[in-house]
Amino acid sequence: MERDRRNAASGAFGLDVSSFVVWPLGIARLGVVLCTAVALGYGLVYFVKAVDRLGDTARTNAAQNFDDREFAGGNALVVANRPLYEARALIPEDETYRVVTGPAVQGATELTASFIDHYARYFLMPRRPAPDARWVICYGCDPASLGDGFEILLEDEAGILVGRLAG
Amino acid sequence: MTVRSLLGLVALNLFALGVGAGLLWGLRGWRSWWELARLAGLAYMLGVAAIGVALTLVLVVGIPFSFATIVLVGIALAAAGLGVGVRLGRPRPLLGPGPRRIGLAGAALAALVIVYLEALFRAARLSGLYAFDAWSFWVPKAKAIYFFGGLDEQFFSELPNATYPPLVPALEATAFHFMGSPDVVTLHVQFWFLLAGFVAAVVGLLATRVPPVLLWSFALLALVSPRVVGRTLEPQADFTLDYLFGLAALLVALWLLERQPWQLASATLFLGATMLTKREGQLLAACVIAAALAASWRGWRSAWPRLGLASACAVAVALPWRVWYVSHDLTGEFPTSGVTGLLDNLDRARPSLQSVLSSAFDAGLWTVVLPLVIAAIVLAFIAGARTLPVYAALVYGLALAGFTWAIWSFTELEVPIEQDEAINPVVRLTASLVILSVALAPLLLDAAWRGTDRAARTEKA
Repeated sequence: MERDRRNAASGAFGLDVSSFVVWPLGIARLGVVLCTAVALGYGLVYFVKAVDRLGDTARTNAAQNFDDREFAGGNALVVANRPLYEARALIPEDETYRVVTGPAVQGATELTASFIDHYARYFLMPRRPAPDARWVICYGCDPASLGDGFEILLEDEAGILVGRLAG
Repeated sequence: MTVRSLLGLVALNLFALGVGAGLLWGLRGWRSWWELARLAGLAYMLGVAAIGVALTLVLVVGIPFSFATIVLVGIALAAAGLGVGVRLGRPRPLLGPGPRRIGLAGAALAALVIVYLEALFRAARLSGLYAFDAWSFWVPKAKAIYFFGGLDEQFFSELPNATYPPLVPALEATAFHFMGSPDVVTLHVQFWFLLAGFVAAVVGLLATRVPPVLLWSFALLALVSPRVVGRTLEPQADFTLDYLFGLAALLVALWLLERQPWQLASATLFLGATMLTKREGQLLAACVIAAALAASWRGWRSAWPRLGLASACAVAVALPWRVWYVSHDLTGEFPTSGVTGLLDNLDRARPSLQSVLSSAFDAGLWTVVLPLVIAAIVLAFIAGARTLPVYAALVYGLALAGFTWAIWSFTELEVPIEQDEAINPVVRLTASLVILSVALAPLLLDAAWRGTDRAARTEKA
């Protein structure tokens, strides 16, 4: 046992099975073997699952079109991709915008009204959100409430408008 | 999602490797190019941590954040490392002897890890930005830095979690500069580089210390855990924090055993970066230091002043960000119940602990990593090792206690927390201990096998 300890302390990692019942080092070594076996067993089983899952993810990602990949998490709340693409094309990078929400968006999810302004901020940067902005992305809002001179530049069939106020 | 973006990320990560190699030569030196190859992962992660910390300071001071700034900061860091190396008389590296043979079983396990990393890369390559926190504030902060060249006051005060430190957004903005555009799809590949760098760093540090079978089997086990597989590529700070914390804790463990100054110096950099990555980084860094103080009590005259100096340096690195957000009237850093308001919410203590333990030991998320680590600590004790199992037990125990305190004191969180793992805050916290296990479990089991926690082969710098 003492020779074992000396060998082990010097870095040797040989398996002397007969020493595994000797307390305390033999028992500890038995535990090391068992722990490693469990780690290997679980590791191999979950390795197969992981590679399989990652393969599926890679295939799903590759099958998506550019828009789906770019919107990704936003697909759960934007209802349609076109209005935000149009907003990005229409609103100059140094201008401000605001998102005004309302109940009249067809196909809105429970996340739409709560998070569309968050998503627009991420998607439209470097354009800045501002409460008094001339550019308006109207997500089911009442255009009349925006005041006179609201020029609609895009009207989506879901009820989403992109436009600007005069002045 | 272009080849240009991918090449940009390759260039960025080679740049980080170069910066880290310069720093490692200053901190430690290396005798041969083979030794550098073995420690390339550590060099890379040192480069990432140093660039992240330095760019955070650049942002706080208000220096315009541009491609030129990033390159100059990197060159300055590498030059500082080389300067220290010259000053300390580091020898010029030779070709030296080749690497140790790792044997058939070790090679097979290493091959499985490489296959896993390849599969992860393919998943990262065209991944959309789905993670809520990522598009809600981590990536918008990075975009704001990229577009406006600094900590834009509007975005950094209006975006959620305004007091979260900006190291990860700074690294993401750096990636945007190297890619040439804010390509949030290819950005996922950057997080693949960080995972691969962490694995390479741990393997490089432990390859000469523990048997390959122990090393690679635990690396494989942690990497294939369902939560790691599903979340490690998300462009947010959680796993980056875990890698930095894991390396800091590993280097402190090695320092406790071998007392090489470079180990504590490197750990200090990782601790500083940990504190600048997420607010729970402060808690994790405190756990590492407290555990190290307790584990080194026999040699406290020598160890404690050094640990105190390391702590002071890490805090000093993290302090400027705190000054910035306090001076901008940003709040939300501290628990809603106040740091000492726990007694008013005693009924939350037990469900908070229950939430933390059920998350940490959830086999559906982490397989059996933490039960095996507990077994490894017990086995190391039984075999006669002391410093390492005391340190490990305290790091894990203090961290679990700290997570419980966090859940207990943030009274807006309903306890017990039983949310889906995608939005469960406790799962994010406990990930750090699982990632740490990649590094500590092999060391503990090696100590249990040898009956001592003295290293079989002490690495001389």
